[in-house]
Amino acid sequence: MKRRNTFSINDNVDLLVEILGRLDGRSLGVAACVCKLWSSVCRRDSVWEALCNRHVAGGGGGPGTRSVVAALGGYRRLYRLCVGPVLDRLAGGPGRAGWAPTREEAAHLSLSLSLSLFSIDCYERLGGSRQRPASLLFLCKSVNVS
Amino acid sequence: MGPYPLGSSTAASGWAAADSGPQCSASEIDGLLAGAGYRVRSSDLLHVAHSLERLESAMGGAPAGYLASAEAVHYNPSDLAAWVHSILSELSPSLPPLRPPLAAPVAETWPDPTCFSSPYQQNQMAVVVATRQREEEEGSAIRLVHLLVSCADAVQRGDSGLAGNIIAEMRVVLTRVNAGFGIGKVAGYFVDALCRRIYSPCSSSSCSASVAGSAADQEILYHHFYEISPYLKFAHFMANQAILEAFDGYDRVHVIDFNLMHGLQWPALIQALALRAGGPPFLRLTGIGQPSPDGRDALREVGLRLAELALSVRVRFAFRGVAASRIDDVRPWMLQVVPGEAVAVNSVLQLHRLLGDPGDDAAAPIDSVLGWVVGIRPKIVTVVEQEADHNRPAFLDRFAEALFYYSTMFDSLEARRGAAQQQQQAVAEVYLQREICNIVSCEGTARVERHEPLVRWRARLGGAGLRAVHLGSNAFKQASMLLTLFSGEGYCVEEVDGCLTLGWHSRPLISASAWRADDDVAPLPDSQLFDPSIDATINVDASQQRQQ
Repeated sequence: MKRRNTFSINDNVDLLVEILGRLDGRSLGVAACVCKLWSSVCRRDSVWEALCNRHVAGGGGGPGTRSVVAALGGYRRLYRLCVGPVLDRLAGGPGRAGWAPTREEAAHLSLSLSLSLFSIDCYERLGGSRQRPASLLFLCKSVNVS
Repeated sequence: MGPYPLGSSTAASGWAAADSGPQCSASEIDGLLAGAGYRVRSSDLLHVAHSLERLESAMGGAPAGYLASAEAVHYNPSDLAAWVHSILSELSPSLPPLRPPLAAPVAETWPDPTCFSSPYQQNQMAVVVATRQREEEEGSAIRLVHLLVSCADAVQRGDSGLAGNIIAEMRVVLTRVNAGFGIGKVAGYFVDALCRRIYSPCSSSSCSASVAGSAADQEILYHHFYEISPYLKFAHFMANQAILEAFDGYDRVHVIDFNLMHGLQWPALIQALALRAGGPPFLRLTGIGQPSPDGRDALREVGLRLAELALSVRVRFAFRGVAASRIDDVRPWMLQVVPGEAVAVNSVLQLHRLLGDPGDDAAAPIDSVLGWVVGIRPKIVTVVEQEADHNRPAFLDRFAEALFYYSTMFDSLEARRGAAQQQQQAVAEVYLQREICNIVSCEGTARVERHEPLVRWRARLGGAGLRAVHLGSNAFKQASMLLTLFSGEGYCVEEVDGCLTLGWHSRPLISASAWRADDDVAPLPDSQLFDPSIDATINVDASQQRQQ
């Protein structure tokens, strides 16, 4: 009797990357808890890069963006500290301060704002152990999913 | 209406008739109103205010013929409380009694931070107790403000005896309000500052240095204030946006920062320059800051960190530190401006320290500093200042302005009381407290917190040869987005003639503007700008300054 070909997603890592790369932040965090393979896939920066860029009009800035973000700490950290909380806040309430952004405006501005805040965070971490980075605490309220 | 003589028989009898409680002593009667001829108990102030409001609305709806009635009965208004009540009861006989148990509307100026307990149907008693407490606190709050203003008036007139008495009374009232937040806390700071002014005044800069604390302390306070509130972040973002746009197309750029502190403004600019279309320019940063007393080169350390960041994102970067205790000690040659580079001058809350007393004929340091700033022909000058008028010649005006400004500021800080950062908030408040102390208790060269409103800065900067640059809608949108990230719904960004202000509940508290040198202003000669023999961090000491 012929053995049936059983398909397991864990045997096709590229496919797994493609699928997981389409998840949102929280789901990625949940997926990272499934098994070691999934956890290692979810730690790849390219997955988080796809996630960040998806929320940005025009595909996330020029080619230099990737190296800058990598130098500042990586897309996963960028999402966790900045992009994720910014998107949460934007989704939470209507436009404050008398200005309701369009989706493109919000997306574009949220990336530039996130990058600015991210650079400040990186800079504070360079300060060494005597200074705990705290500038972004005003953003964070969710559980650390990494 | 002419003033009724104090202690007249009609007033006394009117008072005795209305007074059903224990005999009130003279000290319970409000002093300021007594000077105008009205006898009102201090504890009744709140209630009388509310009754007058009701009277106003009732008279608006009174029948047309009523007020012109031939049988008019005149009441002696010097007993204000009873007078208002009798008029009110005539106008609308179905009035509630003299002390209604229901909560009255809160005075607009002091938003009450205590949560108003929603009335539980099954627990009316708790409602009554809560509203009574609230009324008492409101009454005490109004009384505190009243006392503060009268104390400042006494100080202005030079009557330190009376001022001391009022301060003692204020300390008593402070025990009755919640001094942990709201008006109680702000009033506490102002009372302390007034004490300092009366009992240990300082009018020389050496004295104010002891008040202000060391430079390292000031950096820590600044850092906490930066983290806990959006004002400094807003300032940095707006300035960076203007600088970024002004640097468009230039390959060599030079930023001069009037107050480097920890350099928190510059990582974002470095990152934005790294990502700009066409590649990053060669960035030079000249940071001016306080000299460190213990030999540690704090400026160089900040410069090294910024250089490390710039290196990681591949932006060519050079740093120079200029240690000076005052900006007017800085000379243009220390900045090493290279011909051909685009220069940006960045001043965050620094220019007001260079002002003098208004109406003083002697040239204030601001004029010489603006002179050389314009002389180096910057592409952009970013100015961030407090939006307040704390440099008026009369002490009472300054005091009242400062009271309003800082209560709004503290109010905005308290809006995020729920967040877990109480300790940081307390330290940030010390930062503000030092400003309050300087404004109230220092004079002469010691008083450096000479805030002026945007309109006056416009005139001053325009007069020095600078033209305003509009900040643009991009900056406005970034500012609005930044605000959505901060908890506390009361922040508002406004655009005023190309400048942006950030405020709390429609009171602007900080303003950001951008300027550039006018084209027909003569630049400084090169000999004043560039000296090739200077290389390391420059320490500016009055005794070591080279003569021009």
